[in-house]
Amino acid sequence: MATDSHSPVDSRLIAELREIVGVDGVTSRATELKVYECDGWTIEKAAPDLLVRPRTTAEVSAVLKLLHRRELAFVPRGAGTGLSGGCLPLKAPVMICTSRMNRVLAVDLANRRIEVESGVVNLHVTNAVKAHGYFYAPDPSSQVACTIGGNIAENSGGPHTLKYGVTTNHVLGLELVLPDGEVAELGSPVDERCGYDLVGALVGAEGTAGIVTRATLRLMREPEAHRTLLAVFDDVEGATRAVSAIIAAGIIPGAIEMMDQLIIHAVEAAFHVGLPQDAGAVLIVELDGISAAMDEQGQRLSELILGAAARTIRVARDENERAALWKARKRAFGAVGRLAPNYATQDGVVPRTRLPDILREISAISRRYQLRIGNVFHAGDGNIHPIVLYDERDPSQVRRAIEAGRDILKACVEMGGSLTGEHGIGVEKMAEMPLIFSPDDLMVMAELRRVFDPDERSNPNKVIPTPGGCVEVATPRRQAPL
Amino acid sequence: MDHLDPSALAQVLTAVIDGDRVHFPNGHEACAGRVIVEPANPREIGEVVLKCESDGLTLAPMGAARTLAQIRRRPADVGVSLARMARIVDYEPHDMTVVAEAGLTLGALNTHTGLHGQRLPCDPAKPELTTLGALVGAAKSGPLRLSEGGVRDLLIGIRFIGHDGRLIHGGGRVVKNVAGYDLMKVMTGAFGTLGIITETTFKVRPLPENYSLAITSFDDAADALMAARRAEETASLGHLEVLSPSLGDEFARTGRSLVLTGFGGSRTEADYYRAHVSNALRRNTHMLTGEDAIANYQRLRDFDFAGAAAVAQLAVLPADLPHCLNACAAEFRAHAASGIAQIFLASDHSNDEICEAVRRWREIAHQAHGYLRVLAARPDVRAKLEMFDRPPEPAMRLMRRLKAAFDPKGIFNPGCFVAGI
Repeated sequence: MATDSHSPVDSRLIAELREIVGVDGVTSRATELKVYECDGWTIEKAAPDLLVRPRTTAEVSAVLKLLHRRELAFVPRGAGTGLSGGCLPLKAPVMICTSRMNRVLAVDLANRRIEVESGVVNLHVTNAVKAHGYFYAPDPSSQVACTIGGNIAENSGGPHTLKYGVTTNHVLGLELVLPDGEVAELGSPVDERCGYDLVGALVGAEGTAGIVTRATLRLMREPEAHRTLLAVFDDVEGATRAVSAIIAAGIIPGAIEMMDQLIIHAVEAAFHVGLPQDAGAVLIVELDGISAAMDEQGQRLSELILGAAARTIRVARDENERAALWKARKRAFGAVGRLAPNYATQDGVVPRTRLPDILREISAISRRYQLRIGNVFHAGDGNIHPIVLYDERDPSQVRRAIEAGRDILKACVEMGGSLTGEHGIGVEKMAEMPLIFSPDDLMVMAELRRVFDPDERSNPNKVIPTPGGCVEVATPRRQAPL
Repeated sequence: MDHLDPSALAQVLTAVIDGDRVHFPNGHEACAGRVIVEPANPREIGEVVLKCESDGLTLAPMGAARTLAQIRRRPADVGVSLARMARIVDYEPHDMTVVAEAGLTLGALNTHTGLHGQRLPCDPAKPELTTLGALVGAAKSGPLRLSEGGVRDLLIGIRFIGHDGRLIHGGGRVVKNVAGYDLMKVMTGAFGTLGIITETTFKVRPLPENYSLAITSFDDAADALMAARRAEETASLGHLEVLSPSLGDEFARTGRSLVLTGFGGSRTEADYYRAHVSNALRRNTHMLTGEDAIANYQRLRDFDFAGAAAVAQLAVLPADLPHCLNACAAEFRAHAASGIAQIFLASDHSNDEICEAVRRWREIAHQAHGYLRVLAARPDVRAKLEMFDRPPEPAMRLMRRLKAAFDPKGIFNPGCFVAGI
């Protein structure tokens, strides 16, 4: 058992929780809890004292009422694929995982809505409606594993959000269990709000307002046709010029993704999709729309890209080739595991026109800290994902990896950007929040959070920096999952 | 502070703002504020807010005066006009983002971005009279919400003056940003009850090429609504509006219900949609292009139901809209594929008839798990009408807590939002 003399978790609490969620719904053995000691942000680790896996809203409510009576803090967790330490337990002994709440509750194609429990995996939403020609638009790279509840907490994005928007644009209604156990219905399937937009306030609140148990999501109609192409460049400058040319021409493709040479090598070694090893950068650009217009639009797009000094353009000839390109892109993070024992993924954003500047700055930071940094990112949004490679066995490298990441974020802010485009603040970027927000801004955000969670017991010590919120940096032991 | 007459009130305000920027209301402004102040920057608004908090005065944002003039029962003490805060702060066409002060009108913003082939694709009626602050505060929308989303989907950064006169900002000027809590969503549609919006940052979009407007008439509104659903089920249209016969007559002198379908794109796309729309609507369709199409789209957008005794907005699931509108038995303009319609009563109805109609419409909306909001009503009937639906508990309790957290002194536009907030 993980309990010790300092833990507020005792055998009576465990027994009461088992009464609510069943014996198999509570985990208290330290060896099993080790699995839950971090998410994709592996630099900091802390296992919960107790893991609870409810199956229904009523169980979540009963669990939270019990924790409320005991004045215990808790951490909500979906699949643990987050990249900013959002579900790291910090002075929160109980972790509540939604993995057993994984049912699709209702599909309403006539209104393009779907209602799901929060533990449903992102890709399973699309799978439930694909045969009817619909899809759920937010598509983070972890979509085969990440949950809708986690997506709502982080306001997740993905490559296709360039055209279709992020999670907040697709969530209409929520069922939220407040930290005192009360169940609130927020929003509704109707596309209009009644009163304040509490759903909008909650999406991206990083689990600090209670536990979302159900969500009504918007579905999109699958476009009639896609045109996916791979453009090869000698260097990243050329690739970013192409991005600017596409945007300047008033074209909004479904996605514009970039990979630099380091990532190209890793991806090619892992997936053999035919990326040229000598390329400095590649873009994956996807158009979607009606079939009749694809040739014309594809031609225009190719001209713009070649005009920006692309070496070659390869168009995916069929659905298999398209799928292979996307597999390469979405699993790029995993492929990086071949390059170094550990890596940390950053998530800064810059105005699109500053992409060349930030990439130059990242090169300089790489040299300064003597760490290799790969880049694979959502170029159309200006949302960069520098991947800092390091070896955790060398404390100096760990320190340099953290500092390099912070320098990259500072550079993003200096260029008019932001600390995070889709991964969240979590614990990773809390210290940088004052770079973009004033003390008054942060105070108002804290006031907003306390509307939902007056005692700050839901995922405490996240998002907003507080003097007591420092995490004990554990020795990293494993690298991030795919 | 009703005990102060407007002159005394104006005198109080000159303590924090130059006398030449304090004036008495004109026309519709009188419904929103008893005295109007025109601050020139956020700091001055902060001082006005502090003064109001210390003296127990209430505030209303004057950018929303046209909206508030339709629903407020009595004016706030002080109307805050942002007429002097109407600049574009930063516009980078290649980033497709624009930062502008909240007193700028949507029309002026789009005139500027239009020079670069872009627009903020929010299209409430009369954009030249709609400030960005009012657009956000009242979450106004129009036909384009179908293809471009609402203002909540396009607002990426905000600055506002909150309680204690604090200048608060959320978001930024990048198109993808999850740093911190989403204050943009909190302020959108809050009707000025949480603070005074001073600056807004939006994503902008390319202007569509080859905009075309297809106008198709139907004998009755139910047929028009069903045909509209067929048109939308298989194609991504720019907008899809349905007008009931009396509005159809106002629009095209046909006396019939109209479906107005807008789309754009390359010539190939425009040709495709033209054929698709005619096919789906199963009627001869009158197709407008070029300036003609744009002028008629603007007429469609600018319907403001002036002279109606009461106008309400019905919001239900799109598939429920036809039978709900049928049950309401009123004239309407529908954003058909979004499940939204504005329904109205002509001016010759009595107050009792208005109250009864609103009650019935609300019942129909609620039976379909939707909402009904009164957008405008004759002044003499307002006291008898609930303008907004009341959110269910415990959401309502959370909203009260939000109001108390952001406006502890209760000065920001009180008494004209949900459940008396």
